[in-house]
Amino acid sequence: MTTSPHRLGTLEDKLAAAWLTHGVRPHMRGVLAALAESRPVAAGQVLFREGDLSDFLAVVLAGRIGLRLRVPERGPVTILTVEPGDVVGWSAVVPPYRATSTAVALADSEVAYFNGVELRAALDEDDSLAAEFYPLVLRAVARRLEGTRLQLLDLFSQRWVEPW
Amino acid sequence: MVNPNQTAYFLPRGDLDLLIQSLRSDDRDVVGPHVRDGALVLDEIESATDLPVGVGALNAPGRSNIVEGDGTRVFDQPPGAMSWKRWTFPPRVTQAVWTDSEGPIPARQIENPPRHITRKAFLGVRACEIAALRIQDKVLMGGPVVDSDYVARRNDNLIVAVECAVAGGTCFCTSMGTGPEVTDGFDLALSELDDGFVIRVGSPAGWLIVEELPVTPATDGQLADARASVSRVRDQMPTTVATEGLPQQLIAAAESPRWQQIAERCLACTNCTLVCPTCFCTSVSQHSDLDGRSASTERSWDSCFTLDFARVAGGNFRPRTADRYRQWLTHKFATWTEQFGSFGCVGCGRCITWCPVGIDVRDELMAIAPPSADPVRIELPIRTPIQEQHRPMPWVPATVIDKRRETADAVTLRFRTDYAPLLAGQPGQFVMASLPAVAAPPISVSRFHEDGFELTIRAAGAATAQICALERGEILSVRGPVGRGWPVEQAIGRDVMVITGGIGLAPLRPLLDWLIAEREHIARIQLSYGARTPADRLYTDELAKLARGGIIEVAETVDRAGPEWLGRVGVVTQVIDRVMCSCDRTVAFICGPERMMQATVDVLHERGVPDERIWVTLERHMDCGVGLCGHCQLGAKFVCKDGPVFSLAELGPAFAIEGL
Repeated sequence: MTTSPHRLGTLEDKLAAAWLTHGVRPHMRGVLAALAESRPVAAGQVLFREGDLSDFLAVVLAGRIGLRLRVPERGPVTILTVEPGDVVGWSAVVPPYRATSTAVALADSEVAYFNGVELRAALDEDDSLAAEFYPLVLRAVARRLEGTRLQLLDLFSQRWVEPW
Repeated sequence: MVNPNQTAYFLPRGDLDLLIQSLRSDDRDVVGPHVRDGALVLDEIESATDLPVGVGALNAPGRSNIVEGDGTRVFDQPPGAMSWKRWTFPPRVTQAVWTDSEGPIPARQIENPPRHITRKAFLGVRACEIAALRIQDKVLMGGPVVDSDYVARRNDNLIVAVECAVAGGTCFCTSMGTGPEVTDGFDLALSELDDGFVIRVGSPAGWLIVEELPVTPATDGQLADARASVSRVRDQMPTTVATEGLPQQLIAAAESPRWQQIAERCLACTNCTLVCPTCFCTSVSQHSDLDGRSASTERSWDSCFTLDFARVAGGNFRPRTADRYRQWLTHKFATWTEQFGSFGCVGCGRCITWCPVGIDVRDELMAIAPPSADPVRIELPIRTPIQEQHRPMPWVPATVIDKRRETADAVTLRFRTDYAPLLAGQPGQFVMASLPAVAAPPISVSRFHEDGFELTIRAAGAATAQICALERGEILSVRGPVGRGWPVEQAIGRDVMVITGGIGLAPLRPLLDWLIAEREHIARIQLSYGARTPADRLYTDELAKLARGGIIEVAETVDRAGPEWLGRVGVVTQVIDRVMCSCDRTVAFICGPERMMQATVDVLHERGVPDERIWVTLERHMDCGVGLCGHCQLGAKFVCKDGPVFSLAELGPAFAIEGL
């Protein structure tokens, strides 16, 4: 990516550097950037809790967000960390708009924050934006699914695994 | 009556015993065909009357019957269940005896037991069996490590061949190009006529025998009769297996549904491999005395059909009968050609005759890989150069001088040794690590020092648990370094991605040491390391230090973690799929469980890293460490001998086929 020095650091540039939104056509990226605002997230801050209504979607620009599930007798288990470039809160654009995990900042972070209601309204209004945006979310969720499948195999377990 | 210019003689039938007595002189035992308990066997022969006079045999898929033969003829049978490997490569051999002596300083002695091997004359070796001996010679004496027991037993064998006068119902030597004519590889070759034997001489040792016999030069008529006899056998045995292009056709049929269909009939009884004159796979077992002072190491025949044959360090790689049948058939008729330059089958038909359910390889081959006017062209993988190893490779003692716990069940042991080849080992090489009365596991060296080396071991079984339990001052016997390590020179001038998981970091640590030593010649070093939980990570302090110093980029991730862990959580493939890399100049080194390596390779392919620059270690397949036992086979590779490190280009289709 080439960026002229005076524009370095704008939200649009940051979205262009994020792998999720890297391939979005420039003018669409402008539309997205206009919908978003950059927000710092302090380490330890909870972004949302499992089961909450998802009222925002965010692209992580810096730092690390942990996704956790609470397991009785085991407490909160981190099942995935979201690294810069990836999305957190995709459930804000997928009915029934409920968070599937609890998101906690594990380090001081920065996100591109999209208000869920406004984002959904923009996607409803603008078909070409929706056609550009939904595949991004789908890709991110598919990648997560793929990773989860490998995690399920528990490949580094010490146990002998018998064939079935 | 022997004329050196004459190469064929005639021995009257009545004088056959003189031949046997002549063979027996010079302290030779004669082994030949004999009928015992209603079966045709090979056994020690003291006189001509021990031979199967007037006995024939009818062989068919799944059965062999002794029948009345033709008058006084002695060699009119197709092959019996036994082959000469019973003597050249016996079913059980004691390889080493360990003794711990008492005294102020305990000492351990490892000895090869004395072998009482007598000189042998093999009487009645058929053309296909000469081919089989040659094949085993190539496998067991072709190097880089040779089977010393086999060498001792093959030494000074006198081969008295017999040209077949009848074809068995399961014979197909004409298809495999090994018979029925006996053309070379013999000291003497007999052709049986009704009134005697035409004898051809094939070596100086053969001359010495013939000189003692009341032979006459063979007449033109006798020679013509001998030729006619063997030519009738050829006519009785039509070519049933088309070998042209067979290896490629078979490899291309790796996913054929026929494998499963055969598996539904196959009992996985191992008969086919035990009667096969070329099968050479073995297992090594340990036996100890009750007082614990001595132990012995015994090698015995094994078979790729047993459920546990492919259970090696990393798990059971061929759990289904269909996998095991495919392994056997594709080895004999495809991958063997790449490994040893010939088919692994000589067409003797024993595997058909002694298959209890009568599976006929001739039919199966032609069903799975039928001859084609337009043969499949598949790219056979690049041949892996076999590493020259230090020969002979002795077991040497190594003393534990330091011990560090890495995880709940893994330790790093530092050993001292003065064995120079071991100190000069290469990153990715391994040692066989042996304690008395437990099977020696192959273990990758996790660091080389000027005065020794380190092993990082997880207690996964009896042997590794005992090694993990060693304390300072205790001794481990090691043999090595063995195997082909990481191609470190490939890293020069490139971006290097090192991707690993779990205990897989251990064999990559010497590579990292090398890369760090050569840091100024390497553009970028990225280590991506996955573990099950934060507590399962190896070398944590060391990695933290390296990352802090900016020498290498370290990205660690774990599969699951509690709230105290602030690092990455997720699979290791997702650490590398979005990193910025100059993939056109990247070389990747990977070690981990197979599925993790596959997922990693998929990501690297997406990123445009070519197969030639993706290197994996298949150390989880290793067993005996020298490539002689057969357990480590993967496609055309013996992982212990040809690897354990391979590029994907070398492995070709062998990398991703389940159960291969």
